[in-house]
Amino acid sequence: MSALRLISNRTSQQALSNSDYTWDYEYYEYGPVSFEGLKAHKYSIVIGFWVGLAVFVIFMFFVLTLLTKTGAPHQDNAELSEKRFRMNSFVADFGRPLESERIFSHQMAEESQSLFHFCINEVDHMNKEKESQKGPSLESNTHFQEVPKSSGMFEEDLQCLTKFNIPNFVNTEQNSSLGEDDLLISEPPIILENKLVMQSSHRILD
Amino acid sequence: KNISDFSLNVTDCTQVVVPEEVFFTVAAAGILENLLILIAVVRNKNLHLPMYFFICSLAISDMLGSLYKTLENIFIILCKMGYLTRHGDFEKKLDDAMDSMFILSLLGSIFSLLAIAADRYITIFYALRYHNIMTLRRASVILAIIWAFCAGSSIAIALFSYEAATVIPFTILFPLMMFFILCLYVHMFLLARSHAKKIASLPSSSVHHRTNMKGAITLTIFLGVFLCCWAPFVLHILLARFCPHNPYCACYMSIFHVNGTLIMCNAIINPMIFAFRSPELRSTFKKMLYCSR
Repeated sequence: MSALRLISNRTSQQALSNSDYTWDYEYYEYGPVSFEGLKAHKYSIVIGFWVGLAVFVIFMFFVLTLLTKTGAPHQDNAELSEKRFRMNSFVADFGRPLESERIFSHQMAEESQSLFHFCINEVDHMNKEKESQKGPSLESNTHFQEVPKSSGMFEEDLQCLTKFNIPNFVNTEQNSSLGEDDLLISEPPIILENKLVMQSSHRILD
Repeated sequence: KNISDFSLNVTDCTQVVVPEEVFFTVAAAGILENLLILIAVVRNKNLHLPMYFFICSLAISDMLGSLYKTLENIFIILCKMGYLTRHGDFEKKLDDAMDSMFILSLLGSIFSLLAIAADRYITIFYALRYHNIMTLRRASVILAIIWAFCAGSSIAIALFSYEAATVIPFTILFPLMMFFILCLYVHMFLLARSHAKKIASLPSSSVHHRTNMKGAITLTIFLGVFLCCWAPFVLHILLARFCPHNPYCACYMSIFHVNGTLIMCNAIINPMIFAFRSPELRSTFKKMLYCSR
């Protein structure tokens, strides 16, 4: 690459004293640069570049933290309370107390799995409406009836519920072990999902 | 002014030399770390997932970058010791091959990061359909396309490196990709933040603002590390193409080896912020290290 050859060429000219680099390419006409009469400091590009980069990274960080503090402008309050109600009722149906902090902890994946079972069941229910369900599962189906059947809302609900299964987005202070293992990383939901699909059939049909 | 004169002025920007030991240590650490990740993913069946395939792709491109630097140093040492001639045809071809390896590593890194961000995006926004959208086969096809494209463009760029037409797209691609990745992550971050707000609005919850602060920190680290490690080199290419005779540009280009070392540091840092965050991968690592004793 021209850049590498260029700098190798330069260094070869200084290699007489350094004897470090010995490559040079005679077809590349590049003479030494005179440093007479510089107005600014000679390393001004270096300094300017690094300062600019640091400023940009800090700016990006502040923008992200500002996003943290300001509210989501498009969130509808009514929609929010409706979803909250539904989330409460879903969890209550499974007979567990609503421990909102621990639900989202990585260690309490089973609880989020239970919510996810619900989601999987809803998907199954929506997809196989005409299929007759077995006896024990009819009970849980009655809970499904409360959910509005419009696909848009359904998708939204699923999205809302699927967010529970992302264990690392919300780190609660009680779990110090989750400190290093945070946003956007760790087990993908797909692993849990695979287990869920297998387990859901056992849980619902048994 | 006579251009053939050496003006060994005391105000010259002399080439900033990184000691060879530092070079080799950093390069060896990068290669080893990424190799271990590859071995861990291959050996553990649980890690045969699209997400880890993309992380492997990133590890491969990091390895290539470190390998390039190591090989370059080895060849310089061989030249010094006299085993290789300076003007040989073979050496020029070797140099071309190694340049293309380096560009391949850079392009591979960018596209792997893009693939990881897109994969996470799909995981979050299409969570239930994720295993239909991102099957193993599709992930392999995507990776094959990415690497074929990177290989083709790296060879093309290495062959036609002195044309402005190759330098400009190359340097435009870099910020474009960064911006796109940033957008993906910001969208995911906004979702996480609204999610956290919903949780905070639930009764008996005490989710602290610090949780979202962590998200901001993590995101900044992702992109900041990549930017700080690769941008100096990209700027070097731009300056070398467009103002090689300017003294300011020449002074910037004198820290070329520091820039190269930064790229190798990126190879060491990337596994820490991507691969080692996964507990499954960490436990596989521990098993590998303890079993070998």
